[in-house]
Amino acid sequence: MTLLDFARGPAMQWALIIFTIGIFWRLVGTVLLYRRRDFSQPRRKSGLPDGARAIVMRSVLPPELEHNIVFQHVTGYLWHIGYFVTVLFLGTHIPFFKSLLGFGWPHLPNAIVMIAAAVSLAVLVMLLVRRMLHPVLQKISTSDDYISVIVTILPLITGLISYANIGFIKETNLALHILSVELLLLWFPFGKLMHLFMTFPSRYQVGAAFGRRGVKA
Amino acid sequence: MAILDSIAVSVEHATGNLLPILHEVRHALQRLQDTGEPTVIDLMAIPMALAEESQLEAVLGPGEINAQLDSLGPSEICETGIAGVWLLTHYNADRERVGRFLEITRVPTILESQEADMRRGLTELSRRIGTLEADEFMTDAMNPAAQGDRRNTTRTVE
Amino acid sequence: MSNSMTLAEILERRGVSRRGFLKFSAGIASLMAMPPSMIPRIAAALENARRPSLIYLSFQECTGCTESLTRSHAPTLEGLIFEAISLDYHHTLQAAAGYGAEAARLQAMEENAGSYLVAVDGSVPLADPGYSTIAGVSNVDMLRETAEGAAAIIAIGTCASFGGIPHANPNPTGAVPISDIVKDKPIINVSGCPPIPTVITGVLAQYLTFGKLPELDDLGRPKAFFGQTIHDRCYRRPFYEKGQYAETFDDEGARKGWCLFRLGCKGPVTYNACATLKWNAGTSFPIESGHGCLGCSEPNFWDKGSFYDSLSATQWGSPANLGAAALAGAAIGAGSAMLARRQQKKAQEKQS
Repeated sequence: MTLLDFARGPAMQWALIIFTIGIFWRLVGTVLLYRRRDFSQPRRKSGLPDGARAIVMRSVLPPELEHNIVFQHVTGYLWHIGYFVTVLFLGTHIPFFKSLLGFGWPHLPNAIVMIAAAVSLAVLVMLLVRRMLHPVLQKISTSDDYISVIVTILPLITGLISYANIGFIKETNLALHILSVELLLLWFPFGKLMHLFMTFPSRYQVGAAFGRRGVKA
Repeated sequence: MAILDSIAVSVEHATGNLLPILHEVRHALQRLQDTGEPTVIDLMAIPMALAEESQLEAVLGPGEINAQLDSLGPSEICETGIAGVWLLTHYNADRERVGRFLEITRVPTILESQEADMRRGLTELSRRIGTLEADEFMTDAMNPAAQGDRRNTTRTVE
Repeated sequence: MSNSMTLAEILERRGVSRRGFLKFSAGIASLMAMPPSMIPRIAAALENARRPSLIYLSFQECTGCTESLTRSHAPTLEGLIFEAISLDYHHTLQAAAGYGAEAARLQAMEENAGSYLVAVDGSVPLADPGYSTIAGVSNVDMLRETAEGAAAIIAIGTCASFGGIPHANPNPTGAVPISDIVKDKPIINVSGCPPIPTVITGVLAQYLTFGKLPELDDLGRPKAFFGQTIHDRCYRRPFYEKGQYAETFDDEGARKGWCLFRLGCKGPVTYNACATLKWNAGTSFPIESGHGCLGCSEPNFWDKGSFYDSLSATQWGSPANLGAAALAGAAIGAGSAMLARRQQKKAQEKQS
């Protein structure tokens, strides 16, 4: 069995299984946690409008606050959008999703995706270096922070290397790329990457809870 | 039922190898003029689209010499419109292409008469002359009258 | 069966001029992807090369490799190269049969001990040697016997090189490649299902020219022909780079000749010369004819999932597996939530 066969076969199977177990463990476990009953009179019948509002408004901060974090805000959007464009709209990725989900979607020209990928990688690396050198960030960064950003960067680097076909032979490059994605999947449920699933429900809950008491959150 | 022929097939692609080859030919021709050193380029080793192959022939153009070699199938040896640049195409007996070269030289080696062939040719010519002479001798032996005429005609007048 | 004539003498006997011989050498240089500057050296080497004896054994095979090799009826380059080898035994091609044929093989082995070549196509069944026999002799016995006095062994085709189709899951005959049985002789694997005929004869020509075996990759294949992937030399590469793929065999992309990656082409991981030498004397190759590469020159290519699943589509298991994983995860989640709730309750009681 070659490295590529392993990456495309047993490694992918187990990575997906562990990913699934992990995600369901975290989500079910979080949702079933004890929540203190709120005995106050609800201001509205449903928490939905307030929850939905919180989801949106958290992304658009008031200017007084925005001014402090504009750098993180812009770079964050830049690399997140570039990352999703790369993962979801590269022509050679779509058969992967099609085999998982049963359906695919149109892809973007490689030129556009490669620019998105390059920008995303550059920003990610720059942010990682900043995290390592910034006096405050140095002190507050945990191993979760570093592991999460590294497992996020690896698929991007290995993907670009595989596309450009430099370094090892194509088969090895492809295998390393797929293995790096599997590493990402394995780490996902155990660190801050869970914000992919948690962010919007979390915002919703805060918004709904405060909205019940008539407070715009 | 749709007929195969009615399906339009168009292939649009280019390898981009046309210009590099032409540059190589130009450098080789310069080298030939400066130092006399010939160059051979194997066109089958360089991937080219059909359109690019035609373009290559169009750029070089037709020349004054078109030679055909018949050995192990036909071969076409042509000087292109650019003097010193020869296009050689080798086919087997089934008219399948087995080689395609550009030779930048005064005369491709394969056009020159070969030593071994000339040695064989000399032996063969001697044999044929020998046969002719033997035939004539036999004819003379049978016809003495003719001998005299021949003696007269072959003698130079001094 | 005379091996004392050089190749040049053989050609002269057939009425081929020295010009023809030069054309022949140029053809071989092209075939072996050697620079044209090597042509004089090839001509000189071939002039003095003597015909080595070749014994061709056919084991558990479909005869496709022999068919590939003997396509032409006219004296082509391949045919001449093949003729230049003294083919002393080939039980599909030879006129002799039965005891006479076997006697020919044994005689050739004796007369050329230590210097004859053995070409093998087909795999060797080990589960029960009776699965494939010739004249009552099992393949494995015949191979061992014939390999003993050989200079080298050429495993022709993917079956002989890596096991091929008989070796595919569940391998009922216990098929193994030649290299699993012969361990003490140099083996050249000329893989492919079948191999390109010019590759087979190119390897033989290389042996004739240089008197030694070609440089091999880590799977024992001659680097001259198996050094690059199909993808490396594919003329549709510009479409791959741009991201223009055919999605079905009949869509606009297919008609425009776009990249076949999404239709399962295994070109990026397959080493062979199809994209340069092509098939049927340079006519076309699978991708040029609109079908993705099957990867037929690689080991276990029959067992790597569908030919029509792209390299990106992984063999990720089944929805049932993931469903079970989801349930397991939910159960663990519920369990850990219960534990957490108990801790939370205790903490609250402590507070109040």
